[in-house]
This record gives sequence, structure tokens and C-alpha cells, in this order.
Amino acid sequence: MFGPRIAGEGGVELRPPTLEDYRQNPRWMLLPEVTRFWGPRTISETDADAEERMRKEGARDTSIVWTIAYAGESAGFTGVFDIDWVRRDGETGIFIGRHDLYGRGIASEAVRLRMAYVWKELGLRRTHNWIALPNRGSWRANQKAGYAQVGTYPRSFFRSGEWVDEWLGEAFPHTYPADRLPDAWRR
Amino acid sequence: MALGGVIRGTTTTLRTPTEEDLAAYARWMADLRVRRIASIWHEPAMPDTWKERLKEQTKEKDNVLWSIEAGGRLVGMTRLGWGWEPHRDSAHVDQFILAPDEWRKGYGSDAALALHRYLFDYLDLRRVALELHADNAAARRICEKLGYVEFGRGHEVYYRDGAHVDQLWLLMERAAWDERWGAEHREYAPLGTRTVPGSVSHPKPQAKDGEREERENT
Ligand SMILES: CC(C)(COP(=O)(O)OP(=O)(O)OC[C@H]1O[C@@H](n2cnc3c(N)ncnc32)[C@H](O)[C@@H]1OP(=O)(O)O)[C@@H](O)C(=O)NCCC(=O)NCCS
Repeated sequence: MFGPRIAGEGGVELRPPTLEDYRQNPRWMLLPEVTRFWGPRTISETDADAEERMRKEGARDTSIVWTIAYAGESAGFTGVFDIDWVRRDGETGIFIGRHDLYGRGIASEAVRLRMAYVWKELGLRRTHNWIALPNRGSWRANQKAGYAQVGTYPRSFFRSGEWVDEWLGEAFPHTYPADRLPDAWRR
Repeated sequence: MALGGVIRGTTTTLRTPTEEDLAAYARWMADLRVRRIASIWHEPAMPDTWKERLKEQTKEKDNVLWSIEAGGRLVGMTRLGWGWEPHRDSAHVDQFILAPDEWRKGYGSDAALALHRYLFDYLDLRRVALELHADNAAARRICEKLGYVEFGRGHEVYYRDGAHVDQLWLLMERAAWDERWGAEHREYAPLGTRTVPGSVSHPKPQAKDGEREERENT
């Protein structure tokens, strides 16, 4: 499934992905600036395959995918994946391909919007994630929206001669900062 | 790759699953005793659906399934996933299920040890990870004996018997295998030599097609 449009602050919006977004995302995954904590910097699809992937993901009822738009343009994507509707648990992820925009709070805003939707509309009761520990931008954005670290997977990524550990995080509806609810949920 | 071959333990043997095993699989997945403490492999379904699942499993590139036997009886199943490309140097135990009537006979420990010997002594993996229901005492004990250590705990992840239970994340490193089991638990006796002397500087002459089999067998 694709997620609905959710307007945020600072020019950030979550919106359903377009075919052009589906073609663009894998291209970003080939850049060294973006893949330090993402891998393996190879792709196995053509533009035609992107359309098929979009069709499949759009029809899949165990994941929700959004494009993260910044100033009206696609900057990356976020979502909830492998949703178990019986346990009401899912894995969240975020990817900003426009590395020229890092450090401006885009991930923080996208995660705030995503998690509000997860708790207020989807009715999940828990979400979890895995993030390379030095990828502070990612875990910090999630932490501000209620995630806490509940484990450390040692020596997960090997990059440029160094092993890097990974954070295991989880969040619940009650850990979301109520005073930071987006406008769509304020009456 | 998707269906496992024979791995011999002491009292158990892991072997290739067959269609005849599926009625038992269906029974275990429908057994509350199993469902309360383990992640199952598929929900109960019609016999044809189970056959379809086995057929799909044979096409899998990312995981592999074994049946477990003891004394000539089918007593369980296990399924492993491989780490992501391109390394594939780790594995994840997705399911490890013994029939409830076969619990407390040591089969779980024996099959788990044999499986890990295959992973470290034969496949040369770097590590193996898995998740457990925190109240699965038998599985925790087997993991502890093998050399697993906990690296994470998800809170209130599973729901059974009217309440939530935590999820434990465990990891076994190759060093733990080498230290605890490596010396004794080898599948093959040592050869005494590791390489053929001179094999690098004197490559074998190219055999003609008809000769190849004979030469390689001598
Ligand atoms: C990780 C990623 C999502 C961060 O996006 P971003 O928009 O730059 O993040 P934000 O600007 O919202 O920053 C979030 C927090 O992390 C901090 N931060 C951001 N980048 C940082 C960095 N390089 N070093 C230290 N702190 C950093 C910010 O200061 C902010 O914290 P604060 O609010 O306490 O000040 C983005 O870099 C990305 O998509 N990278 C590539 C793919 C990836 O790694 N995805 C995540 C996989 S788990």
C-alpha cells in the first residue's frame, strides 16, 4: 500500500509515491554519499522493472510506503514494512537520497508524520527498526518520535576498515510525544 | 539450496523434507503448545496448499528447510535464512520446531548441535542469529549450551495465553563454536594436508574431453 498525503512543517510532506519516484530511488542507492549505512550499492532493475515493483508494492497489504517530498520535490522515501496485522507490529525505515539536503531536519519531520499515522490511523501497537549506530541522523530522528534503543547488534557493517554496530530500536503509541502531534491530528 | 541435505547428529538426522512430511508439519503448526512458544512456518491449511508451500520452498534462494528425524521417525523441522548479498557469511534460524510429543528427549539439543556444526564446520559462516520468545525455556537452554549470547530484547512482542511476552535476540559467533565445539565436533576426519604441494606453480595439464573422468578419478 501507499501512504496518504500528510502535510508537515518546514516544507516537508509525505505523499503517495509516483512512478518517477520509483525510478529515482534505486539510482540514489548507487551513490557513495547515501550508502555508507545502506547496502550493497548495486541494483538489479531497469526502469520497466521499477513499474512492476511499484505495482507489487502498491498492492501489498503488509507495507505502507510514502515519498518524502521537500519543497514539492521528492527527496526520498519512508515506510512501515513486514507488517504483522495479528501482532500489529512492523519494521520502519527511512531513506533520503538527496544528500545535499542532509542535516536540515527532513528525516525528523518525516518520522514524526509517519509515526503519527502509524499510531493514530493504522492502529499498530509496536514498531521496530535497525540502524547503524554511527548513523546518528537516523536514530536521532526516530528517537525524537518515541523510539528507544533495546539492543546492539555487534559488528554489523564493515566500512573502510572499521566494524560498525547496529542499534535495535522499538516504539509504542505511548512513547510518541503527544505535544508533537502533526496538525492533521489536532482539533 | 532451498531444501537441505543430510546432516547427521548423534540421535537425530536432518534430512530433505518430502511431501509425506507435510501432514505432520500441518499438525505441529496447528498445535497450541508449539504456537505459544515459537514462530511457526505457515498457518494451518489444506493438504494441497502445503504441497504448494513445499514446491515454493524448493525455489527459495534465501533460505533452506530440513526435516528432523530420530529413530526413523519424523520428529521436527528447521528453516534457516542466509545473510544478505554479497557476503552471505551469516545465517538466521527462522524456525526450529520439534513435535510436542518428542520434547524432553534431547532431540532438540542434538539436532541444533548438528545444524551448527554444518553452519560453522562445513559452510564456514561467521555468525548465526535468531529470535526467541522469552518464555521458551528449552530453546533458551539449547542456545546457552551452544554458545549464543543475547544482544537485544523487544518488549511485549508476542501475545499468547492472554498476555504479552518479550522477544530475545541471540547471536552465536564463530569464535564460540571454535572454542566450545570446534575441536571435537567435526564432520570429517582431518586430511593431514591442506593443499597439494606445488599445485600453484604447476597447474594440471589440460585433459582432452574423453580423458577427463579417468584422470580425475585416479
Ligand atoms: C539518516 C538520514 C535519514 C538522516 O536524515 P536528515 O534529514 O539528515 O536528518 P535530520 O536533519 O532530521 O537530523 C536528525 C537528527 O540527527 C542529527 N544529525 C543529522 N545528521 C547528523 C550527522 N551526520 N552527525 C550527527 N548528527 C546528525 C541532527 O542534528 C538531528 O538531531 P537533533 O534534532 O537532536 O539536532 C539520511 O542521512 C539518509 O537517508 N541517509 C541515507 C540512507 C540511510 O542511511 N537511511 C537510514 C537507514 S537506517
